[in-house]
Amino acid sequence: MKVSYYPGCDLYTKAKVLNESIKASFRAIDIELKELANWYCCGTTFTLARDNKMSLIAPLRILAKAQKENGAVLVPCSICYNTLKRANYIFENDPEALNIINEHLGESYDGNEKVVHPFEFIREHQDEFKKGVKKNLRDLKLGCYYGCYLLRPRAELQFDDPESPNIIEEFVSMMGATPVSFPMNVECCGSYLIINSPEAALEASYRILKNAREKGAEAIITSCPLCHYNLDNFQFKISAMHPEHKPIPVFYFSQIMAIAFDLPVQTWGLEYNKVLPTNLLKEHKLL
Amino acid sequence: MKKLTKDYDFIARIQEISMQNIADCYQCGRCTAGCPFAEYMDEPPNRIIRYIQLGSKEDILKAQSPWFCAACLVCETRCPRGVDIPRIMEAVRTIHLRAKEQILDIDKIDKEILQDAHPLVLMSVLYKYSF
Repeated sequence: MKVSYYPGCDLYTKAKVLNESIKASFRAIDIELKELANWYCCGTTFTLARDNKMSLIAPLRILAKAQKENGAVLVPCSICYNTLKRANYIFENDPEALNIINEHLGESYDGNEKVVHPFEFIREHQDEFKKGVKKNLRDLKLGCYYGCYLLRPRAELQFDDPESPNIIEEFVSMMGATPVSFPMNVECCGSYLIINSPEAALEASYRILKNAREKGAEAIITSCPLCHYNLDNFQFKISAMHPEHKPIPVFYFSQIMAIAFDLPVQTWGLEYNKVLPTNLLKEHKLL
Repeated sequence: MKKLTKDYDFIARIQEISMQNIADCYQCGRCTAGCPFAEYMDEPPNRIIRYIQLGSKEDILKAQSPWFCAACLVCETRCPRGVDIPRIMEAVRTIHLRAKEQILDIDKIDKEILQDAHPLVLMSVLYKYSF
């Protein structure tokens, strides 16, 4: 099976591991991720100002390009997913805005391209993915962390219940590991506040990590490169603020998939994790 | 007592940019209760909305709160009146930035964080804090 794929800038820079491990895992069960030719940046953070039409340009270009390929486009980065889906909501529901951008770009996009996140895709094709699982991860307790961009706003994304989601738990169960739900799983990691108000962002990340640990998680999984950056990268700073903090590894969901599928260890991309998961994996005899 | 002059144009501008009807809010405070960053704000989110309802332009433009809003949309999800508070925060930010106020001060950013900063974070910051 071939699926159109939009990686987004981040999957070639800080979140390389997400790109590499998702491609390897999908390939292992004969699904080829076909990257859109000459794709562009989605523009990141979606604009909330009605009169800012500029930030609709990049999403329309991408969606128009994706529509020329067959079928829905798979978008693993939570931020790209959010931006493309929210822009598409405008294209579907605001013909005037759609016209302005189409005319500006010389496109004739109709607002009907479907944007799909791997969690949705995996749920839809769960039999194939379950067959791919070769390793027993049963005792590995993974804290399912959603963050903001996958869930909110509910009306535009229609991804899962934004207050009590379950799709990552389903994914973890499919991979044969033990999902851990924790109350802070839909809270914000601090996002871009890390630059201008680092204390606020670090405190937000700390509360999430602490809560996951308290509920029994040994590691956290996520699909958002921004959450991964805040939660994984700054645990040494969090430890300096809260000496009792015990570092906890943060995985991309695709790394867990590569482990469960028993793919070569290079595809797991463990060297990209700041909080090293090697001891944890050795404890569970996975490494 | 401070005499309040209600700035109707300002209310209209915020409503136009945010696409929200400011009168929808009945001040239950649920947005503030769930906001992960309310503790860092000089005025809690519901009070920002109240100032806009009152047309108190000076109080709104003085507040630092919009710069602590990460647009996580928890308040939008929980508002019983369907008010999209992050859009209102964005409207306030937009008014500051379109008046060419520079909020981002590169010299004040933690060097350690800046050196290894995530491109997504940098782009978001440039978009939210500078014009």
